Amino acid sequence: MQATAPVCAPKDFKSDLKPIWCPGCGDYGVVQAIYRALAAVGRLPHEIAFISGIGCSSRIPGYTTAYGFNSVHGRALPIAQGIKMANPDLLVLAAGGDGDGFSIGGGHLPHAIRRNPDITYIVMDNQIYGLTKGQLSPTSPKGLHTVTSGYGSLENPVNPLMYVLSYGAPFVAQGTPADLPGLAEMIEEAIRYPGFAFVNVQSPCVTYGEEEQQIKAHKASMKRLSELGHDPSELIRALDVSQAYGTELHTGVVYRNPAPPPTFEALVRARQQELAPRALPPERILDLFLQE
Amino acid sequence: MTRDLIIGMAGSGGDGIVSAGESLISACAAEGYHAIMTKSFGSQIRGGESSCRVRLAVDEVLNPGGALDVAVALNWEDFLKFGAELPVAGKTVVIYEERTGVAPDRLPLVGITPNEVFAVPIGELARKTAGTERAKNTVVLGLLAGWFGIAEDAIRRGFRKKFAKKGAELVEANDRAFEAGIEYAREHPLAVSRKMESVPTPGAKLLTDGNDMCAAAAIFAGCRFFGGYPITPSTEVMQFLSREIWKYGGTTLQAEDEIAGIGAALGASFAGLKAMTATSGPGMSLKSEIMGLATIAELPLVIVNVQRGGPSTGMPTKSEQSDLFQAVFSAHGDVVRPVLAPTTVADTFDVTVEAFNLAEQYQTPVIVLSDQELAQRKEIVDPIDTARFELVERRRPTASELEDYQRFRLTDSGISPISQPGVKGGNYLGAGIEHNEHGDPTASGSVHARMNEKRFRKLNSLRRREDLFTIEGERESPLALISWGSTAGVCREAMQLAAEKGLKVKLLVPRLLYPVNEDIYRSFFTSVQAGLVVEQSHQGQLYRLLRMFVDVPADVRPFCRSGANPFRPLEIVDHLRNLVLSLQRRLQESLQPQE
Repeated sequence: MQATAPVCAPKDFKSDLKPIWCPGCGDYGVVQAIYRALAAVGRLPHEIAFISGIGCSSRIPGYTTAYGFNSVHGRALPIAQGIKMANPDLLVLAAGGDGDGFSIGGGHLPHAIRRNPDITYIVMDNQIYGLTKGQLSPTSPKGLHTVTSGYGSLENPVNPLMYVLSYGAPFVAQGTPADLPGLAEMIEEAIRYPGFAFVNVQSPCVTYGEEEQQIKAHKASMKRLSELGHDPSELIRALDVSQAYGTELHTGVVYRNPAPPPTFEALVRARQQELAPRALPPERILDLFLQE
Repeated sequence: MTRDLIIGMAGSGGDGIVSAGESLISACAAEGYHAIMTKSFGSQIRGGESSCRVRLAVDEVLNPGGALDVAVALNWEDFLKFGAELPVAGKTVVIYEERTGVAPDRLPLVGITPNEVFAVPIGELARKTAGTERAKNTVVLGLLAGWFGIAEDAIRRGFRKKFAKKGAELVEANDRAFEAGIEYAREHPLAVSRKMESVPTPGAKLLTDGNDMCAAAAIFAGCRFFGGYPITPSTEVMQFLSREIWKYGGTTLQAEDEIAGIGAALGASFAGLKAMTATSGPGMSLKSEIMGLATIAELPLVIVNVQRGGPSTGMPTKSEQSDLFQAVFSAHGDVVRPVLAPTTVADTFDVTVEAFNLAEQYQTPVIVLSDQELAQRKEIVDPIDTARFELVERRRPTASELEDYQRFRLTDSGISPISQPGVKGGNYLGAGIEHNEHGDPTASGSVHARMNEKRFRKLNSLRRREDLFTIEGERESPLALISWGSTAGVCREAMQLAAEKGLKVKLLVPRLLYPVNEDIYRSFFTSVQAGLVVEQSHQGQLYRLLRMFVDVPADVRPFCRSGANPFRPLEIVDHLRNLVLSLQRRLQESLQPQE
């Protein structure tokens, strides 16, 4: 990985496609932060694969100049892992919304975490289904009135931070586009972290979101973990802080495993190298079935 | 002398009856015989009844065959649980453990008198010679070697090698048990000798099943990524690859579910590798959304479906050919994707390599419709010359094409050069959403129409692939069979048996089931007056599919039934004869003067 002087400016990662997002959508800030983070990391657009599922936020790969794959609902992580295993030299990003990542695709997240590929997964968490016009999401607060919960939601929300921490994610952060420099910095750090890195971005939905979830409210309510004296190397502290999801807007690195475990692709490569000497030439593979 | 022998054996879980079958087929391979071995188990995970059939012959074995020539029952009640899978007939020699308590002529063999019946003290012989009843299966091998002259030396070499690691004592014990079986057979000769003819010049043979063959073919074809989830009866594909593919720089991922398995495989293909997933019916249902994504993103991907009885959980360990409609139609939107079916274990190699080639050439998902019968039966196969295969790689963009790269460029062939991450200038957005030539999302109806047209047009040259069909037998005969998958092998033998009875038949076997090659069928049907489309499904799915696309002659009829028990060659011959008789009657009636 080239880590020295930036070879691309943030604008080099911006594509010509005009986003479909509503004016004021938090996702504009997220994509800006991604441009900055990628420029800072110093990889070229063609060395990056950016995978998403379905939802407003899942359009994001198309707004970059990287290789993108805007796949189907909930399946960004399996596809991203296949790409990373096929070509570990790529910088692989995955992104999507809270519905994509914690509801329809929620079953994939624990397994991505336990494998620990060097993938950065950015969730734009707006606590609502925006693309389908305002239904309940897995992170919607209990009691929320939406078009599918007219009498108020009866369900507790998923806590994304506790979720990934409890499965052993080695890098966990939370940000908001209300603090763009802070968000860009944590995405950069997530990309640089050698292992599965999760960034939960509280990205407001201007059209269907609640008042207290808008940029203005975030600016007033956000608490930088660094200013709270949080030590992100302590898992137990990270879990403690994460309990406040939904009541407090903590931003910054929640957890950073100080001793990064080996990545999946490193283990895969090691196994391939170990076993390579035992390969028959492929054209003679049927000799395995030969009877003496 | 016998040239073709069908042996069926059954016992309880611990009797080692399947292991005896495996020793037998392995010895047959060493002696140069051809053979097919199928296994069947009760529903218990461990223990319970188990059985196997071994059909060995001097010439090629086309299918597991019908009624048994030899029935071996370590426990007669267990044997009977397999019913139609182990049919006893008038020609059968029955060998059973005398301590079974119930004699075979007393239990439901109503109306059948086996040729000869031997009550053998199998357990006692094992105990006396080897000191344990666990050697019962070795005694059985001795009996078979003795009575039927099957591969005595090779069987001996086989178990000696197998037990060598466990010490000389065990080898000697099995030697004694084996000799006891041979000796018993010598002392109790068959009324009419049924010794197998030996193979004059035994050449080298391969011994494997359809799943392992499929996996080996994938590696040969260049597959370097497999994503999947365990499901009967396809799991052995993943098991084989998880042992072998790493050696070739490849990876297997046992995913958290079927969707993640195909998702990861599609990701690997996006990144430029040849990739595969394998599953069975329920898994196909789960994978169908991502198969659609592969179609619209125009990514090569091989999907193996080892069919089992359905719907839903159905009959996971039993064969059926009822997923053809699913393979062809389980997609939303307008989708066409190649569906291939192998007909033998050896053929599974060719068809799997072909699937990778088509996937690469046409940038499309390709489905291999195997079936449990093929996938899990062991077969002795002649060595395959891998030099006769050409391996196809996806068309990648040239340097000049990368200057103004358009991933989904509307070319004459419909095939657009495909880039992959890491290639400078080839950056594009792959997507499940409709896109223009550049790959940008669009909601334009005219672009959508052009892209749909492109995705269908690019398969046009597949119509020229006549080599994906074979016409066998009497090409001029007006009587025809059409069959696919493992059932085609039964039809091959039925065709030979019919010829012996003076009934000339030809057989059309499609390896490519979809898109339906209308020209091939039309030209085949021009000389056909009557026939049967033989397949193992309740509906007769190929028959119905053909009727969607081709004018099938009225007297070409479906001969189909639900799965579990494979077709037997003779029942197809009978059905053909009845078809001919009914046509003759109709002809005679039409010639009667009207009153």
